[in-house]
Amino acid sequence: MLEQFLSPGGLLYEESVPGWKQAVDEVAQPLLDAGTIKTSYVDAVKEAIAKPGGTYMDLGSGVALAHARPEAGVITTSLSALHAGTPFLLADDEDHPITTMFCLAAQDANKHLSLMQALATFLSDESNQQRLAQVSSKQELEAVLTGKSTQHE
Amino acid sequence: MKIVTVCSTGLGSSFMTQLNIEKALKQLGVSGVETDHMDLGSATPNDADVFFCGRDIADAASELGDVVSLNSLIDMNEITDKVKAALERHGVAVPGKD
Repeated sequence: MLEQFLSPGGLLYEESVPGWKQAVDEVAQPLLDAGTIKTSYVDAVKEAIAKPGGTYMDLGSGVALAHARPEAGVITTSLSALHAGTPFLLADDEDHPITTMFCLAAQDANKHLSLMQALATFLSDESNQQRLAQVSSKQELEAVLTGKSTQHE
Repeated sequence: MKIVTVCSTGLGSSFMTQLNIEKALKQLGVSGVETDHMDLGSATPNDADVFFCGRDIADAASELGDVVSLNSLIDMNEITDKVKAALERHGVAVPGKD
């Protein structure tokens, strides 16, 4: 379900990231490379997180949904994801440890309906939350998000 | 009865929560409840009977009226429990399904 929305090369794995800003930069890079967002969008996401209450992007269970308004620089609706082996703190807030950060680029309020439905269906499933939390490689991340089994050990 | 979810941008976290609330309503067997999502800046008390949002903006949203704060936007147990409580608070019958 989700894979049709994931940008090529849009799944990333890092043992650890220095902080949430670097995490945003990393997770947004595949979308920048694909030309589906502009750098202004990445800046807007970081500004939003740094604002008071910006941690609303923490969905729970270690998952964050990095996003901003379409007019901040979305060209095409798209999605990418970064999993960090060691949690990082959203907005440097200890209440918000994150292991999986999605970067959501929504072209407009309607075009991302099916993407959000796929994402909400996936993330609200407790077994998916557990599988996502235990990811320890890029291949595993891909397997969990796309439902494909890993071919290599 | 109308439930609106709010977040700062009005299209990511709030939309996710709206979809999960719709799922919860389905699980509870409740129909006829309207749902929508919007950004905190545009929401007014008249937009809904109950507003759901993440805990981090609950204080900022408090003047909207009946505001339900969620610790997690993807924990269906928490969402279903709090939706059920909100429905009962507003006199909407929830079919007994245990």
